[in-house]
Formats: sequence, C-alpha cells, structure tokens
Amino acid sequence: MNFSIMFDKDKCRGCTNCMKRCPTQAIRLIEGKAFINTAKCIHCGECIKICPYNAYSPESIEWYNQMHDTPKKFKIAIPTTSLYGQFPRGTDICKVQNAILKLGFDFVYDASWAADLVAKAIKLKIDKEKTMRPYISTYCPAAVRLIKYRYPSLMDNLILIREPMEIAGILARERVRKKFGLKDEDIKVFYISPCPAKLLAVTNPIGDYKPSVDWVIPLNKIYGDLYREVIREDNITCSYPSLLGMKWAVAGGQSEHAELNNYIAVHGMENIIEILEEIENGKLSDIDFVEASACVNGCVGGTFNVVNPFIASSSINYISNSLPDECLNPDIDRFDEMYKTGFFNYKLKEEEKFDKLNLKEAVERNEKIREILDKLPGLDCGSCGAPTCLAHAEDVYNNESEFYDCVVLRAKK
Amino acid sequence: MTDKFLKRYSYNITANDFMSAGKSASAIKSNLKSLGIDSNTIRKISIISYETEINIVIHSYGGKLHCDIYENKIVIISEDTGPGITDLDMAMTEGYSTATDSVRELGFGAGMGLPNIKKYSDQLEINTSSTGTTIIATIYL
Repeated sequence: MNFSIMFDKDKCRGCTNCMKRCPTQAIRLIEGKAFINTAKCIHCGECIKICPYNAYSPESIEWYNQMHDTPKKFKIAIPTTSLYGQFPRGTDICKVQNAILKLGFDFVYDASWAADLVAKAIKLKIDKEKTMRPYISTYCPAAVRLIKYRYPSLMDNLILIREPMEIAGILARERVRKKFGLKDEDIKVFYISPCPAKLLAVTNPIGDYKPSVDWVIPLNKIYGDLYREVIREDNITCSYPSLLGMKWAVAGGQSEHAELNNYIAVHGMENIIEILEEIENGKLSDIDFVEASACVNGCVGGTFNVVNPFIASSSINYISNSLPDECLNPDIDRFDEMYKTGFFNYKLKEEEKFDKLNLKEAVERNEKIREILDKLPGLDCGSCGAPTCLAHAEDVYNNESEFYDCVVLRAKK
Repeated sequence: MTDKFLKRYSYNITANDFMSAGKSASAIKSNLKSLGIDSNTIRKISIISYETEINIVIHSYGGKLHCDIYENKIVIISEDTGPGITDLDMAMTEGYSTATDSVRELGFGAGMGLPNIKKYSDQLEINTSSTGTTIIATIYL
C-alpha cells in the first residue's frame, strides 16, 4: 500500500495526542513512539493536524518521480475543485488550466466538469430509488473508510456513484485516446489533490472498479510554481471550470449542485461521527442525502491546501457567485447516454459488504474482552500505548499486546 | 441457524427514578452494537427497551429489564412487581394513558408506550395481574 502520511520518529515524544484523536484507533505507542497500523488508517489527517511536535507530515512521496521520470507518457492533470479557492481575490482563475499545462502536463480535465455530470447522476438516483434513506455521499474517501471500519452497517447507505475524480479520469483518457490516437497504457493521469485520502482512493479503492487516475500530486507541492504561471502576463489562454462544480470543494456544494433540498452537509471528523451515529440509530431516515467530509468546511480543509479553509470557502463562493458561467463543459451533452449505460454506478466488492454476523462468536469475543476490561483500571490514560482501556483489552484479546502493559496494574503488582 | 440461547444482560429499574430512566435501554443498545448487530434491528430493540424501561419507572413498583441474545433472535423481557395493567385493551390504544399530570410534565406518559412496543416487536406476550406485569417482546434477526 502506498502510504501518504510520513512520520518522524525523532520528533515524536509519545504524548498520546494523536493516539487519542485517531477516529479508527489505528495508532498505538510502541516503546514510547507512535506507530500507525496502516491497515486501519483512513488517511483523514487528524494526527497531522493535532500533533504538537509536527512529527507527522502529509506526503505523496513518489509523486515527483511519477511525474518527471515518465517522459514517454502522455500526462493528464485533473485539478481538484479546492484549487480555485487557493488564489488571492481578483486572480483570473480562467488561466489556471493553462498554467497547469505549463508545469509539464499535456492535457487538463477539470474535476468540476465531471462534478456537473456526477451531480445529475446523484439527483436521479435519489429521486428514483426511495427505499434507502439517507444515502451517504461517496465523495470523501476518508469518510467512506471511516464508515467501513467503524460503521460497517452503513455501507449499504453509500450512494455508490463514482466521484468526480474517477469520472474525470475516464473521460479525459477517452478524449486523449480519440484526439491523439493514443493507447491507454501511454497515458498517465494525475490528480492534483487537496488531501492524502485521495491517494488511498487511487491505490486502494473501495468498490469493484479499476481507478482511472494513476497518481496523486499534493496541491501544496506545485502551488508556488503554478501561481507564478497563473499570473504571467503572456498567459492568455482562458478556460473556465464549472462554477457550480467548483463548489464541491465546500461542504454543501454537492447537494446544492444536485439541486437537493432535504440533505445534511456535515464536516469535520467529530461532527461526521455524530451524524453517522444518528444514522446508525435509525434517526435520519427522513433525510435524502448526507454529505460527510472528514475535513472542516469540506475539501478546502484538506491538509494539502495552502490557504485557510474559511478563506478558501469564501473565495470559491465569491468566484462562483460573481463570475458569469462561461464553462463549456465538454461532456455534458452526453449525460443521458452515459446514465443509461450505468456509467456512473459501481458496486462494492464482496468482502466490503456488511457481513451477516456470527452472533455466537461475537458474544464469546465480547465476553472475553469484557473479562479483561473488568480487571483494567478504567482510566483511559493511554500509558499502556492504547487509546482506551477497552482498546487495550481488545489488543490483549487479539494477542497484540500484553495485559501488564497497563502501568497502573504493573505498579500494583 | 438455531434458537440457541447465548447470553442475558440484566438491569434493575427503580420506580419513579426519572433521572436514570433510559440508561438501561442505552446500555442494551451499546451491547448490541458491540456485537455487530445491524442498525435496523438495534433501532427496533432500542425503542422497545426504552418504552418498557419507562413503563417500569412510571407505572410499577420497580422491576427488571433483561435482554436475551439467541442465535436467531433478541428477546426483551420486562418484569415488574405491580400493580398490573387494569385494562390491557385500552392500554394498547395509541394516546391512552394513565400517567399522572406530574409525570406528563416531565415529558412522559403520552400513551404511546405499549402501542410502540407492539409496533416494533415481531412477537409480543403480556402477562399482567395485580402482583406484577411481564412483557416478552421478540425480534427475529
């Protein structure tokens, strides 16, 4: 697996902040240093945001090599919608796409154009299929993975409509194949990403499809060069993103674009956990659609952005509301034909579906964990290296740690 | 799948203790959740166990709430020590309530308890006399 959260052991002081914050309890302290269980990590970036010693950093290590060591490949860039919120007011954003070409790409396909199509597909699915409520958006890869690990019974609620990055990748490849007579293997697709979770979506997708995007480039790594190109005076080629599609970067943007009126747009890890709990309790079945983004304010809050999420939201809303809509979406006329062929839909892999449980095993497992837990002090101090006493009891049950790693019990012994 | 009995969770309920009312139902819910039971089933059981718990608090002299786990079903059993339901047919009617005004002021006693329990159970058995009431609600998995 390609991992995009780097960890500097020397900076880590074993303070337990990240361990307690991690929404999937993927972090343990081993010999006083944090350790991420990569199988449980959903790349939400909470550890990066909370670490007081900057021991974590987001990184897509291979992006530079992927981009520069493949001169023979035809390179397509898909800029994320949040990119348009990163520039100062008054920047002529229609020049962004041309500036991306100047960085060494051969073709640009805007994620917001794909969002135009995806929004329509979401609207149609919600209007047509009324038995499942609420549908949950599959846009935020960290939220989808949180559901998979922590709320598996909600996997059935996922709307399973491919997100704009995927659709953009497929349509851009198709265009380039036709226009330049290229084969699929001669093309490499890069997504300019606001967050590390998108890398996970590309390398380890949830769903039965083969990702159309090959690699993810952190937005902040190319921002400086990009901005210089955007404001160059000889950059005169203009191409607009979709003004509504762009709003996908901001919480609520998906629902607004899909013209829904009965939806919840929730963002920030603690908030989405609260809403997912509510759905699991069966309380939100009168809501059509839940847009859950792991980051504050939506994708503009991702750790690869350069501008504060509130400023970026404001910029995107400003651009979206003040510019004339001059977007010539290259594929919008083909929507009906695409929708009919099921182009937007995908399925979960068998192992990703919610299993019918073996209650007997679950009861036995719970009893054994309960027995261990009853002997622990219940302080949730984190000194054993697990975030809570319950997590320690589970680790002991799974033979992943020693019962007497508990410092309180060791002191009594 | 057999109907083999696996585990019982039991809780004592005190009459008129409105501060704790609902806590046993929450504990049942979190136990079922940790077992990995699906959200629809949990929702039904939560409603049933909450309503039965509240009934014990409002109407009885105290009692017990049990949650029995079988391989193919969950059974919620409430046992109290009286005074019994005088008119069971009326008690099953939506909106019919014998709760006092002071209980209603606390937001309880809307007359939806037993009707809701019936609505969400797959099978319901009620035995009542002046010495106590037993309610057995079954939800199949």
